[in-house]
Amino acid sequence: MAVRLRLDGHTVAEASRRSGLSAPTVSAAWKAFREGGWEAVSVKPRGRRKGSGDALGAAQRRALRERLAELPPAPLPAWNSRALAETLKGKPASPRAIEHWWAAQGLTVPCRDLHDLEKRRSSAGRWFRQRVRPVRDVVNKAGGECWQGGVRVVPAAGDRPRCYQLYLHGKRGALHMRCLPVAPVADDYLTLFERLLVQAEAPIALLFHGAWFQASPEVQEWLAEHLEFHLINVPPATPDD
Amino acid sequence: MTSLTHLQRLEAESIQIMREVVAETEKPVMLYSVGKDSAVMLHLARKAFAPAPPPFPLLHVDTRWKFRAMYEFRDRMAKETGMDLLVHINPEGIEKDINPFTHGSAIHTDVMKTEGLKQALNRHGFDAAFGGARRDEEKSRAKERVFSFRTAQHRWDPKSQRPELWKLYNTRKHKGESIRVFPLSNWTELDIWQYIYLQQIPIVPLYYAAERPVVERDGALIMVDDDRMPLEPGEVPMMRKVRFRTLGCYPLTGAIESEADTLPAIIQEMLLTKTSERQGRVIDHDSTASMEKKKQEGYF
Repeated sequence: MAVRLRLDGHTVAEASRRSGLSAPTVSAAWKAFREGGWEAVSVKPRGRRKGSGDALGAAQRRALRERLAELPPAPLPAWNSRALAETLKGKPASPRAIEHWWAAQGLTVPCRDLHDLEKRRSSAGRWFRQRVRPVRDVVNKAGGECWQGGVRVVPAAGDRPRCYQLYLHGKRGALHMRCLPVAPVADDYLTLFERLLVQAEAPIALLFHGAWFQASPEVQEWLAEHLEFHLINVPPATPDD
Repeated sequence: MTSLTHLQRLEAESIQIMREVVAETEKPVMLYSVGKDSAVMLHLARKAFAPAPPPFPLLHVDTRWKFRAMYEFRDRMAKETGMDLLVHINPEGIEKDINPFTHGSAIHTDVMKTEGLKQALNRHGFDAAFGGARRDEEKSRAKERVFSFRTAQHRWDPKSQRPELWKLYNTRKHKGESIRVFPLSNWTELDIWQYIYLQQIPIVPLYYAAERPVVERDGALIMVDDDRMPLEPGEVPMMRKVRFRTLGCYPLTGAIESEADTLPAIIQEMLLTKTSERQGRVIDHDSTASMEKKKQEGYF
């Protein structure tokens, strides 16, 4: 892209700004192109792959996998990178290193952009305006918190076996998770919900994707008893989403 | 002379078989299981006898445990084609409330499908029944002829089958005998999908990948289609993007995880697959009720 910009007559500074590459990299690519054509320009992703470094040792990675299957200390609803980092023994690991390890393991789940949904003229947009916004407004008015979450099956990666991931996105999209070897049961979900309530000490709105709670009498019963907890099931994606 | 594509050859063969049956038998019927093979068979029958509707009714041997989407689709297709739709449910099965959960897949299949089919054929006196079975589905189906003769008790003898050299079919029946006819015998699953795509044949939406509530049972993904499905204590079905390669009774039909939500995507998936669609049928893994044994006893 930088070389194309240079070919279009842009300056090194402009090409650097638009491509996000440093000025010396743009200059080097331009020089290589002039000397050897397109083949001489080396195109590769910048930096090493996230999580491919050895910031975490093998024992730490094993410990992380084991921790993720366990219940985090109360009142945490699920593990976040900071809590996981604090439990690790040996060489200190930063939350960022753990987030990179999550990414390498395929455990990172993007947070749904609700602001974007609000404007959409699709069934997802309508669902947001009709189902989510009124609840969110009520919860916000009562000083509560809005969370997003879900459950999904994550295929095996490297030495990590296939797992069932329960995930949550809290404030500013911070990722929390648990990775279970078997499909979560009602107790797993209810523990998560209860801890969310305890932690917030206020009403909670949770947008949840991937579980069919309508079929679970345990969850329905719990929801009927906890009216301050607003569970909103995210509907299956439709082609116009 | 223009040469036909392999799908055109298969289509011509199937149409010839259908016309042969109508010419040679007294009271044929088309078994309609609402799946993709039935959809193709119905399409071929309409082509074979166009512009008139096919000169035989559709027969659905119902078990009461099919997917809801299948019932909706069945009724819609019967209305659209203008053909008579006969639905038969084994009354003994209803009386005893035979179901896959309390009685198991073998008894459920035997009572609701095998016995149900025999009852329906006897009740209406059909002497030939079209079925959508294909040779590539399962090994006992592979050795069955296109014209499969059954005794008066609807039993099949795999060791006594008629040769079908050069596609010449001997349709003469002994007294009391009936014929199960399989016009799609030589089709493969991929052929079926390609034909559905080319001819734009409507099929049940369950064949397309979508998020559906499923539970895992012995490694199979079973869709929770209604509240009759018993869940384990504390079990919560998960929404997973799945589709079905084959459709039967919902508690006995496994889904596959797939992203194929269009016909080209399904065809692409078919090109890479190395397993039979019947892998998803729980009844086929039941050794005490192998397909060959079931067929000998009169199963379709």
